[in-house]
Amino acid sequence: MIDFFQMILSGIAVGSSYALMGLGMVLIYKASEVPNFVQGEMALLPVFIAYMLLSSYGLPYYVAFPLTLIFALFLGCFLEFAVLRRAKEPNILGLIIITIGMEMLLLGFVSWKFGADQRAMPFPISTYDSIIIGDIYISTIDMLTLVVALIIMLILFLFFRYSKIGVAMKATQQNETAAALMGIKTHRVRMITWGISSLVGCVAGLLLSAVLTEPYMMWDPMLKGFAGAVVGGMTSLPGAVFGAYIVGVVEHLFGGYVSIEFKSVVAFAIIVLVLCIKPSGLFARHYVKKV
Amino acid sequence: MNSVFKNQTQNNKGKRRRSMKKIFLSVFTVLAVTVFGLAFNATAEEGVTDTEIHIGQWGPQTGPAAPWGAVARGTDAYFKMINAEGGIHGRKLVHHYFDDAYNPAKTVAGVKQLQEDIGMFAWVSGVGTACGLAVKDYLIERKIPWLSPSAGSRHWIEPPNKYIFNIYPLYLGDAQILCQYAVKKLGFKRIAIAFQNDDYGKQGLEGATKQLAKYKMKLVEEVPINVADTDLKPHIMKFRKAEAEAILLFVGPGHVARLIGTGKAMEFEPQWMTSTTCGDVPLMMAITKGLYAGTILASFGMLNPKQVGIGNVEDINNPSHPLLKKYHEKAFKQFAAKEERWGLTFAAGIAYTEPFIEALKRVGKNLTREKLVAEMEKIRNFQGIMGHVSYAPFKPKDPLCRIGQQEIFISQATPDAKLKVLTDWIKTEFIPSSK
Repeated sequence: MIDFFQMILSGIAVGSSYALMGLGMVLIYKASEVPNFVQGEMALLPVFIAYMLLSSYGLPYYVAFPLTLIFALFLGCFLEFAVLRRAKEPNILGLIIITIGMEMLLLGFVSWKFGADQRAMPFPISTYDSIIIGDIYISTIDMLTLVVALIIMLILFLFFRYSKIGVAMKATQQNETAAALMGIKTHRVRMITWGISSLVGCVAGLLLSAVLTEPYMMWDPMLKGFAGAVVGGMTSLPGAVFGAYIVGVVEHLFGGYVSIEFKSVVAFAIIVLVLCIKPSGLFARHYVKKV
Repeated sequence: MNSVFKNQTQNNKGKRRRSMKKIFLSVFTVLAVTVFGLAFNATAEEGVTDTEIHIGQWGPQTGPAAPWGAVARGTDAYFKMINAEGGIHGRKLVHHYFDDAYNPAKTVAGVKQLQEDIGMFAWVSGVGTACGLAVKDYLIERKIPWLSPSAGSRHWIEPPNKYIFNIYPLYLGDAQILCQYAVKKLGFKRIAIAFQNDDYGKQGLEGATKQLAKYKMKLVEEVPINVADTDLKPHIMKFRKAEAEAILLFVGPGHVARLIGTGKAMEFEPQWMTSTTCGDVPLMMAITKGLYAGTILASFGMLNPKQVGIGNVEDINNPSHPLLKKYHEKAFKQFAAKEERWGLTFAAGIAYTEPFIEALKRVGKNLTREKLVAEMEKIRNFQGIMGHVSYAPFKPKDPLCRIGQQEIFISQATPDAKLKVLTDWIKTEFIPSSK
């Protein structure tokens, strides 16, 4: 029974980083209607910038991390402004290919600039300490990830609910033409959405980098975040979060009780299952167009 | 007048004869040169000119296995050092290496392109079992020597091939010796393994299973790890549940770091033991933030345990091995890129090609592939910066004629990122796949 609770807790902990990645993807999907495959690398580059600021320039954490987050914000805005917006009347497939191209560009840049070796990111808390509740362990970094994920979700909720720009984003996502007619600068709103998405992904990246920093570190969390978002519904922010937690927990239970060999692919089996039963995802509304 | 005409006619005939003779001589000379030239070209070896020897190599410079890209860069610096010292019998080594991103499809494309466009005399090293297997038959069919594949796989010698010379001690042997040390020296009763779910990991699993069977023991847990796995808590839970005292790690450096770190966070700290692939102690110490200290590992070289002495400590950044010291000074410092890091992987790129260079020297000026193979077969107990390397004349049913190095030693990572020697060289036993 202890193993069961340990797996549930570990699943929730790892699900938190998937949730942050999933949130980032859903934000962009709602704004640009494109599954954003550059989400992982939008976090990767800032992570290596943080590593450079800490290791090469010796900046303290309280300077390096905020600078990194600002960089991530601008990176997201820049990619939307310089690349996505330039695409002329693109269809969904074209947009997906653009994001895959950007993913390769950023990954190649990181590998070229920083090298392929794995590194240890200097981090303010130890990644190897843990909190013990009864016989159940949760590492301090997992606990931090869980808390940070919950805080970000709360901030995003408040942001979309009460801030002017948040409401403008929701309006743009729901009906871009109507939003533009109401005086909302929809291009700018979309650019800011990309910036916020990049920022959220960067937080996940920084937390993941505490364990190991390497050029390919964001690929798996990005796929799992995407899986979580699809399970929860690509148009629902709470859905993406719940979906990510479902993926994390099911993965751990499957690894513990069924097959550890196929643990990492179970997320994709869940996607297939959910898409067959409820194509719009578990938490998103399914709109049927009436003719 | 008539006599004048007669003389003129005779003169003209004489001139014509002379010019015919000239034409005939010219044609004959051209034909002779062409025929002899062709004959000369027919005997000249592909990839060899009077001044150059073209050698190919693949390796990941990007992608998930990119840290092993230092192997090819190490070889490159070594060849440049040899060229700076005058080359081999007046010929410079022209090293062609390309990035295959650890992707067998790219390995095939790159090897074919270099072989068919430029023409390599031989191929050296080549990281990755899957990548090597993808081009093995292509090289064999063309009788192109492939020296020292950079992976300890049984595939290179079983069945043996005349043109493939292994050097890397097999992973089967790493697992044997680690289990032997864990049981006989450390007295562990409960041994488990985390293995990469591919040829590398599975050979470690096989070696461990067979060695433990000799002591009437079984692995208490066998946990496969996929290359893409990043969250390893369930894996650690399995080991903890099995109450493993020692865990063999036949995975890559990143997974070693994640396993040791996750274990520490879950207050599970068995004796970690790992293969030759995780022997870059300074790197491992850096990425585990010091947790790698105390890990026991199989080592194939970069120090001579006889010279260092059992119980003593060696620092790869300040090597005591005279040859390694030379490579550090003359190959790494002079020819490596500014951002390159000196370490085991870089030095391994040099080590794998040492027997090949020795054979090239022994062949002499008249270099052919057959002569190279013949000289490789004569190499016995050759020692560069690895262990003793031996080959034998080709016998289709004897994998040992192409095995290269069969010995390893056991060492331990120290808290100051050095290597403590725990044993002398130990000869491993070759286990055929049929056994």
